[in-house]
Amino acid sequence: MQKTTNKTRVFILLILSMLTLLSGCEFKDIDKVTFISMIGIDQSDNSDKPFKVTVKLYVPTSSFKQSPKPQYAYLTENGETLSEAIRLLETHSDKKLDFGHAKLVIIGEELLKANKEKEILDLLIRRPDIQLISWVAIGRPNAEEIIKMVPKSETAAYPAIFNYFDDNGTESPYSVSTFLFDFRRRMVESGIDAILPIIEMEQEESQFKINKAYILADGKKPHELSSHNTMLYNLLSMNIDIGDLIVNEEGHSFIAKIDTIKSKYKVKVQNDNQVRLDLDIKLFGYVSESKQSMQTKSLPKYNQLLEAEAKKSITDFFTEMLEAGYDPLGFGLKYKATTLPNQRMSMEEWQDAYKNAEINLNITSGLKSTGTIQ
Amino acid sequence: MSRFYYYLILVNMVSNIIASVPVILLYFHKEGAISSMILSVVVGTIIITVYTRFFNNFPGMTLPELLQKTTAKWFYNPFIFLLGILWFIAGMITLITFSFLLIRYLTPETPITQISLVLTISVIFGCLMKTNRVLYTIEIILILTFPLIFYIYLAAYSSKNLRWDFVKDAVLYFNQLPSFYAFSASFFLFLGVANMFIFNRFFTIKQKFGLKQIVFIMVTSTFALSTTYFIPIGFNGFEHIKDFIYPWISTSDSIRMKYFIIERVLFIFLLFYLGIAFLSILIHWHVSIEFFKFVFHLEKIKWKGVKIGIFLPLPFFIGISTYFVKRLDEYQLVRLSGIFYNSLSILFPLMIILFLFIKRRMKYAKNNEQN
Repeated sequence: MQKTTNKTRVFILLILSMLTLLSGCEFKDIDKVTFISMIGIDQSDNSDKPFKVTVKLYVPTSSFKQSPKPQYAYLTENGETLSEAIRLLETHSDKKLDFGHAKLVIIGEELLKANKEKEILDLLIRRPDIQLISWVAIGRPNAEEIIKMVPKSETAAYPAIFNYFDDNGTESPYSVSTFLFDFRRRMVESGIDAILPIIEMEQEESQFKINKAYILADGKKPHELSSHNTMLYNLLSMNIDIGDLIVNEEGHSFIAKIDTIKSKYKVKVQNDNQVRLDLDIKLFGYVSESKQSMQTKSLPKYNQLLEAEAKKSITDFFTEMLEAGYDPLGFGLKYKATTLPNQRMSMEEWQDAYKNAEINLNITSGLKSTGTIQ
Repeated sequence: MSRFYYYLILVNMVSNIIASVPVILLYFHKEGAISSMILSVVVGTIIITVYTRFFNNFPGMTLPELLQKTTAKWFYNPFIFLLGILWFIAGMITLITFSFLLIRYLTPETPITQISLVLTISVIFGCLMKTNRVLYTIEIILILTFPLIFYIYLAAYSSKNLRWDFVKDAVLYFNQLPSFYAFSASFFLFLGVANMFIFNRFFTIKQKFGLKQIVFIMVTSTFALSTTYFIPIGFNGFEHIKDFIYPWISTSDSIRMKYFIIERVLFIFLLFYLGIAFLSILIHWHVSIEFFKFVFHLEKIKWKGVKIGIFLPLPFFIGISTYFVKRLDEYQLVRLSGIFYNSLSILFPLMIILFLFIKRRMKYAKNNEQN
């Protein structure tokens, strides 16, 4: 009995002495850290220090009642490299800058035109604290203005602009959202090209407008997609299931609201490296607006009209893509995924073959309703 | 088989992700990783079957005890000492890898010595526990961590950001000749069974090990291996997957759980894998300490009447692992793990010859007893 109590005593003393280790794991306290909500990277006017980094900081408040309006602080610095700019930024702040909560990286349009996106990508991927699930977007006219604008609809603690990207707030078929890791894999892998949304702003209403996109491909100029084509890209890549197609044919003009899309793509290689892209697309939805009164019994006719219209739009989209050799849907990757490595053509050959590819488009439309009225 | 047996095998299969196995496999992504994996599933299942059947013949007996009965002292003492070192290195590699992960992603401000010491100290007293208690610890921690880890796997597989085209591209490189490095890295997943050398002490009743169990292990291991290899490719692309130092960490950072407590899966992943890493180190070092105990008769060492013997290896364990945590860099760690896996994949199949020898001698000894 005596012996066990002694043992217990020693044990308790040991545990107590270990408590001193709990004084901290040299973790910085939360009041010594400021959290960055988004990062903007621009080209500066100074040619010695080409990079201009702007960060948006959350300003901590003790309670929501104290500041129902969102509050932010901004830091801007130029640097020869991105790291230099970030190091200098740290001298502006009394607290440690924490990049771990940054959910959006905005790249200025000018930097993109100067082909600096690879340099930026390297830093963003290399730093372990930057999330790979942060979104990447292009700022027009530049990133700084976008970052500094706070729209009227913004609530405290959650920047409104995030709602455009996480399919949680608005779900528009016109806006693309690209994660950082997705951006990287599309940039470095051959056979698929990166696509980034363009954030524009309407100054008077202080609202963002995100309905266009850039396609970036190796050794080519960034290609801007129009709103309509951005929507088509979204539909075709099955990122988002909703979309509107305006049908204007044979005296009928109505808008088909697509709510489900199923598509299958195949790449067929014929002799002499002639490539055929087999696209099998099924559209389902209903009519959401019409200039004429509609008849439910003539739904098959409307379906035919929609098929014809979709065929036209999608063919136009692909013609634009193929002519310039951009491949945002990843047909090159599809080709690699179905051909043995030793039987593949080289990537240059593929580029040529893709540009001259034949498109075999097969659209089935299934409008099931004319909406609530005929 | 008893469920504890499966825990031993499962821990190795799950914990490989944070070791250097994915790095080595992905390094050979165009030079025969797939064929090496297929080969290792075949060889690994055979090894598991042979090892389990062998220890099933001698319920409750550890390898050192068997060797003592059947071989000469000049053989078994150095041999078991060597095994002890091997198991120590296995635990140390996990420790160093995880310390590196923690300092890179979770606590960049903490000195690395402190991280590794905190891990070591929490593990080391567990290593001194009795074998059955170690198994109970394994059960509790596995029950706590495994469901969520499995859920992360499922989230990865069902994510729409997983591009199956990259995976298909990777699969098409199946026709390359296997590479030895890739083979031994994937073979490491199957070596959990080798912990039976000591843990067989717990299994005192003869177990059933038939076709059903073999098929189960084969299916689980195939799933574990393909998850290790294909998920990073599906998320981060195929051609440049070599660039990643910690492919699985980057992959877990690419998974987003919109409606989960923490959106960034990386932190949950690291936290729960901390549990798995703890188990992996615990098992390996427990086995290692048991080997050393046997070789040096540590229980008999007394100082002023107090048995201090079993504490003697601890300073060495802590000292050596702390030294290497500070000394090694990431490249050397991967090299060291590669060499270690290679030596294991030569040594463990050869061990079967030893088993045959022991089996014959034991039969002979039994016959002698009966006469």
